[in-house]
Amino acid sequence: MTSRIEILNAGGYRSDGRRQFELRTIEIDFSPHGSNSDGSATISHGLTQVSVSVFGPREAKMRSQTFHDRANINIELNIAPFSAGERRKRGRGDKRVLELVQTLKSTFEPVIQMSLYPRSQIDIYVQVLQQDGGLLQACINATTLALANAGIPLFDLVCAVTGGVHSTSPLLDLTQLEENDLPNVTIAVMPRSGKMALVSMETRLHVDRFEEIFRLAGEASTVIHGEIKRAVKETTANLVDAMQPGKSSAGTNAENEY
Amino acid sequence: MALVSVSKAEKSYIQAGILASPAHRLDGRSLHDFRSIALETGVAPLANGSARLKIGRNPQDGSGGTEVLAAVKLEVENVEGGTGGVDGGRIVCSVSCSPSAYPNISSGALDDLQHDYTDVINQTLSHPSLHPANLGILPRKKSWLLNLDIVVLADAGNIYDALFMSARAALWDTKVPRTRSIEYKARKSGPSAKDKDMVGGSGDMDVDQDTVSGFDTRHTSGAIDFELPDYWDEGEILDGRNRWPLCVSLNLIPPAHFLDATLQEEASASIRVLLMFSFASPGQPTLQGMRMLGPGELSMASLKALIKEGGKYANEMHSALTSKLRDEDLRRNQKAREKFALGNLWVYIKCASNPVLKIITQLARNGLYGRASMEYRIC
Repeated sequence: MTSRIEILNAGGYRSDGRRQFELRTIEIDFSPHGSNSDGSATISHGLTQVSVSVFGPREAKMRSQTFHDRANINIELNIAPFSAGERRKRGRGDKRVLELVQTLKSTFEPVIQMSLYPRSQIDIYVQVLQQDGGLLQACINATTLALANAGIPLFDLVCAVTGGVHSTSPLLDLTQLEENDLPNVTIAVMPRSGKMALVSMETRLHVDRFEEIFRLAGEASTVIHGEIKRAVKETTANLVDAMQPGKSSAGTNAENEY
Repeated sequence: MALVSVSKAEKSYIQAGILASPAHRLDGRSLHDFRSIALETGVAPLANGSARLKIGRNPQDGSGGTEVLAAVKLEVENVEGGTGGVDGGRIVCSVSCSPSAYPNISSGALDDLQHDYTDVINQTLSHPSLHPANLGILPRKKSWLLNLDIVVLADAGNIYDALFMSARAALWDTKVPRTRSIEYKARKSGPSAKDKDMVGGSGDMDVDQDTVSGFDTRHTSGAIDFELPDYWDEGEILDGRNRWPLCVSLNLIPPAHFLDATLQEEASASIRVLLMFSFASPGQPTLQGMRMLGPGELSMASLKALIKEGGKYANEMHSALTSKLRDEDLRRNQKAREKFALGNLWVYIKCASNPVLKIITQLARNGLYGRASMEYRIC
């Protein structure tokens, strides 16, 4: 037992030095990947890093895929073979990839105001660069950011977070090590309405514990929502500043502040 | 398969510009100028070596340009048992393209493109003449499988040069873990052991002793397994890091040729010649591979001239890239050392509050003041 890494030690610290309810560092980067994406975002939750590019709304490559009353959402997910501990090349037809894509699609379909863009297509390309637990959570948050960055009308900013339980103590934002060992659940919340966009659980969890984790994860998602909102507001403010004609003074002020 | 569409007028405008007597290109470069290249090694924490390369990135917001991520991962492979392992290790390369790099082509066409890139990279880099010496673990038993994976994140032209440069950088950065072979030796049955084992009473039977024949010159190693010794670094560098080839793409609008084409320029060139050069010693390029892409044709004489020119460009690229890679090695080692030193200092400050000012002034002299004072404020 001693050679194993303790999930939660007697002092209340986890294997990476965090407390029970502490989230990993979130880094958000809007710098565009690719030459001409309409919106893009890279998010890292600790060592998990996901980059998303959004194209559209645009004309569909295949006319047959379009709907006459709403936009079609096309999601493609690519996992870098070197992103995890063990090298694994997953093609587009891989079961795990298809499942993730389907989950993302069902999460975002009710959030995007699709009826505004009939007969068009919105392409969301997800690139996983590093994995250290919380892959689904990072994918959802990055997609939210990229969609917001592309200026696609959303009903809400979807925020996702993972929660798990170690014997009786709940943990938030699990790393790969913890995810392998603990029952865990990923939830995605629409903070404005307080509705759930997704609850995904692939492990068994005692029904008595579920309520507590669910509540905690809900609280944690408001923290993530704060981060996402702040990042979106910051870039939008910069954009508005840059767009205002003849307001060079604002630009110099901003420069002075930095 | 059109990665980018150019109109007839655009095409002829680009061609006329290239052929004009002081040649001019859309972005103001001369014919043999590269766009700016940014390179960083050690970007994938879980890989044995990795690099990120960008060509022609917009310096303001980091947008545009060609962006490639390469990473090397080593796996242990059994040589026997038909698993595909080869004695002395093998190299397998693969290139995958993010759909965001090619937003306008269908997924089927994207697969074809990936396959094309993989083919060129794999055939050049896994060639026996470039094979590193330290990929074997146990002779005829176990060896390293070197997986080089390259992800194309964005393509704004000159993708082959970017692929080869990033591959070279990632392989340069690769560390092969040290291994120590384990050998199980049967206990030498001396007379004392024999006496002890003699329970059944069959001790006086004549048993054939395994004696080594003097005529047997085969070298057999008894090692059957290996272990990873604890050591302070990640391993030894991959052998032959200077040899890894570079690619020079010459874009031809006869009689002119130009380097580092953007997508529009690539579409306007009639033919593209890829020349892969490796460097056994600096300044002496060896032609390692060659491809011709595009519909045009080329005479033998002009091809010969092109190869000569290409060798010259490859030389310049090689020296620039090597010095950058050395810089990068230095940066990462020095950074790590500095961090370590600061960590120690931090503890020191915490322990004794008095000599803090003295230390900070000392650091200011060494140019470390900013970080030191910041860390101090935190504690």
